[in-house]
Amino acid sequence: MRISDFSKKKERLLKIKKEDLIDLPYPYNRRDLEPDIQGLTEDQLKTFDSSLDGISALGIRMPKDRKEEEEIVRKFINGLQKLLTPENNWTFLMPLYHSLEYCVRCQLCNDHCPVYIASGKKEIYRPTLRGEILRRLVERYVKKRSSVVLKLSGCDLELNWQTIARLGELAYRCTLCRRCAMACPLGVDNGLISREIRKLLSQELGLAPKELHELGTVQQLKVGSSTGITPKALKNIIEFIESDIEEKLGKKIKIPVDKEGAEVLLIHNAGEYLSWPENVEAFAIIFDLANIDWTLSSDLMGYDAVNYGLWYDDIQFARIAIRHIEVAKKLKVKKINVGECGHAHKALVVVADRVLTGDMNIPRESALPLLRDLIVKGKLKVDPKKNNFPVTLHDPCNVVRLMGIVEPQREILRRICPDFREMEPHGIHNYCCGGGSGFAIIQSMNFPSWRSSVSGRMKLKQILEVFQDVISPDVKKYVCAPCSNCKGQLRDLFNSFKTNELCGIFYGGIAELIVNALEDLKKPFIEWEWH
Amino acid sequence: METFLALFTYFAHLFLIHVYIVRLAKYLKMPVHLRWELYPVIHEEKYPSASSYLEEKDWWLKKRKKKYLRGFFFLLKDYFILSDYAKGKFLYWLGLYPWHMGFILTMFFEFLCFISGLYIIRGGQVSDSSPSIVGTFLYHMTLIIGVLSFLTGMVGSVLIFLNRVFDKSLREYAVLLHYITYGVTFLLFFTGFYSWFFTDPKLEEYRLFWAGLLSFDFSRVGLWTAIHIMVYDLFLLYLPYTRWLHYITRFFAFFFIRWDDEPNIPGSSLERKVARLLEKKVTWSAPHIDKGKSWVDLARV
Ligand code: SF4
Ligand code: SF4
Repeated sequence: MRISDFSKKKERLLKIKKEDLIDLPYPYNRRDLEPDIQGLTEDQLKTFDSSLDGISALGIRMPKDRKEEEEIVRKFINGLQKLLTPENNWTFLMPLYHSLEYCVRCQLCNDHCPVYIASGKKEIYRPTLRGEILRRLVERYVKKRSSVVLKLSGCDLELNWQTIARLGELAYRCTLCRRCAMACPLGVDNGLISREIRKLLSQELGLAPKELHELGTVQQLKVGSSTGITPKALKNIIEFIESDIEEKLGKKIKIPVDKEGAEVLLIHNAGEYLSWPENVEAFAIIFDLANIDWTLSSDLMGYDAVNYGLWYDDIQFARIAIRHIEVAKKLKVKKINVGECGHAHKALVVVADRVLTGDMNIPRESALPLLRDLIVKGKLKVDPKKNNFPVTLHDPCNVVRLMGIVEPQREILRRICPDFREMEPHGIHNYCCGGGSGFAIIQSMNFPSWRSSVSGRMKLKQILEVFQDVISPDVKKYVCAPCSNCKGQLRDLFNSFKTNELCGIFYGGIAELIVNALEDLKKPFIEWEWH
Repeated sequence: METFLALFTYFAHLFLIHVYIVRLAKYLKMPVHLRWELYPVIHEEKYPSASSYLEEKDWWLKKRKKKYLRGFFFLLKDYFILSDYAKGKFLYWLGLYPWHMGFILTMFFEFLCFISGLYIIRGGQVSDSSPSIVGTFLYHMTLIIGVLSFLTGMVGSVLIFLNRVFDKSLREYAVLLHYITYGVTFLLFFTGFYSWFFTDPKLEEYRLFWAGLLSFDFSRVGLWTAIHIMVYDLFLLYLPYTRWLHYITRFFAFFFIRWDDEPNIPGSSLERKVARLLEKKVTWSAPHIDKGKSWVDLARV
């Protein structure tokens, strides 16, 4: 593929096949054990654009006529202009400007991108491509350079509907893991460029994957959670969780909800209540044992730490961040503690920091240092032998590379898991789970298939490698992923590769491992039940 | 001729300084942005493990120690190593390194000529038989740095050009300006080399030319030195159209973006800046945004 092909009305720029992808270790050295990458249905092909790679995350509908096509192009140019103004984009103007102006096209960053490598280095997934296209469009349509300058600088790419549709989809082939940015000696950030393209589409054209927007931020602002859990439903779930704890622990724990003046407001990703209630249970047990003065909130938004705005829309991002703080203010808590959710960590603790002023700036922190302190200072009595199975740690990009919280989770695992092993590479050099930036929740059309086969591939490779010596399904193995979003991706990834069945690989959070190691616990907390 | 050359040299330098000031001012005037740091953040205490202050419980109650100089020296040192390229793209580095060194050394050469010029107009003598150690030092340094810059620059221009042509990924992303830049830099270093080798082995003419520029008493230079100075001036005029300002903006990108982990402390000047930005009116026009409202009003709906 040539860069100039991007605006040509061709069938499709890439037909991605599983044979082209990089090899995986045993047992997936047999390609027949690997799932196929699904195509779109006939109907979907007729309705949605798939001219990038035959995959659809955004669900961009073909324009009805020429007029509509021109309108989209006009809006896109408006959006491009807005991206470069301080009024509309003070939030990211400087990083975007730098990334557009100072890339020297040395291509050093490419080999750090898990999507590009996993795909067998397919041109369209090269991290520099999005930036290059956006840069060329800015020079031509915003800066309006003369035709000579455009020719000399190669910025004569045409902007048409096809270019927009492909660029939009391409922005959703990047997990915003920013591994490429870390590799750039000049501080250029191709991950940010993907985000800014997404923002332009959302904030000007109203175009975003429905799981992020309608079912995501819009639903969260309306009913309280992107999962659809309402405050009333939450109360029922908590009752269920309390009785489950009683069954496992043999004693009753009252989970504090809406306790005014508590020291800590703990906010989980609401996905935990639905899919991994054992994580919520584990936190409740730990906090109760450690005598922490804490509470959950049942207020609208107070029980769902997710903020999908982080990935595609600054306005939606700010709206959600502010609601989270208002809940904390209402409860008069001293601080907010974010549970095991990577993007909520980054959103609420770091990125929202410069949206919150005055009394809105309530202290916010990760739950991991607190858990580490409880273990290291001996506040919880643990017996590591109870976790006598191979454990590896997945580093959520948002927590590690993007926040510098690297050691607490390791300090915990080193103390409670005798067979803890690091993946390579790990820490800030980790590979994304493949579900970052909203990918894990995008379930429409054939995107999940691409997500498992391509964006999650490097992670699967690492996991298989670290467990190669115990790869038999008879040995139970645990991938500790202290992030709800990553767990969602691992669940889908392992399901599609039947990894639990073929290799005995299971996944879960870190709080569950802590509780499983508690000295006084009569029976194991981790039940190895696949869900 | 010498007057024209001198005026052209003044102009080229002033032009470059002007454009660079405008560009850098534009950069520095940009509003504070949302935090978007990337670890490792070099001024962090626990930099070796790439950790941040966020690893501490109640981090806002603790004192944060920042080691700014560490970042400054890290970036400065890397100009002379380009270690990421040496590790990640060695063949490219083989061309990039001499090319960069040629450029850095040329700047240094010009600086030495400037100092030598000042020394000469104040009555000093710059030569290998100068009675002063300063004069002999300047003479030898200018000769070594000048010749090294011509040689490394020439080799680098050729190798980097070959890299762009033969490496598929580099070629696909190359634009005409890349090749023009390689051509211009080759010409720059080649003319310098030629004039030194064939006409001015002591690089005396540059010194006198600079002394003339500084005293407004323009001295005559030989043909090849004049050609080199012309090419150098043209190179300065061309620089703003390349991405070479990254020498400086790289510092901004690291200090203001990648390593910008400054929390928004209540009552701080950062908080006041953010509060002002939140008042800005937004004109995004997707259905979920009320065009014309301020950020703060939009966020509170
Ligand atoms: S983003 Fe950085 S590493 Fe990648 S091509 Fe541009 S300058 Fe090179
Ligand atoms: S942010 Fe991650 S997924 Fe996106 S281009 Fe960079 S390395 Fe690839």
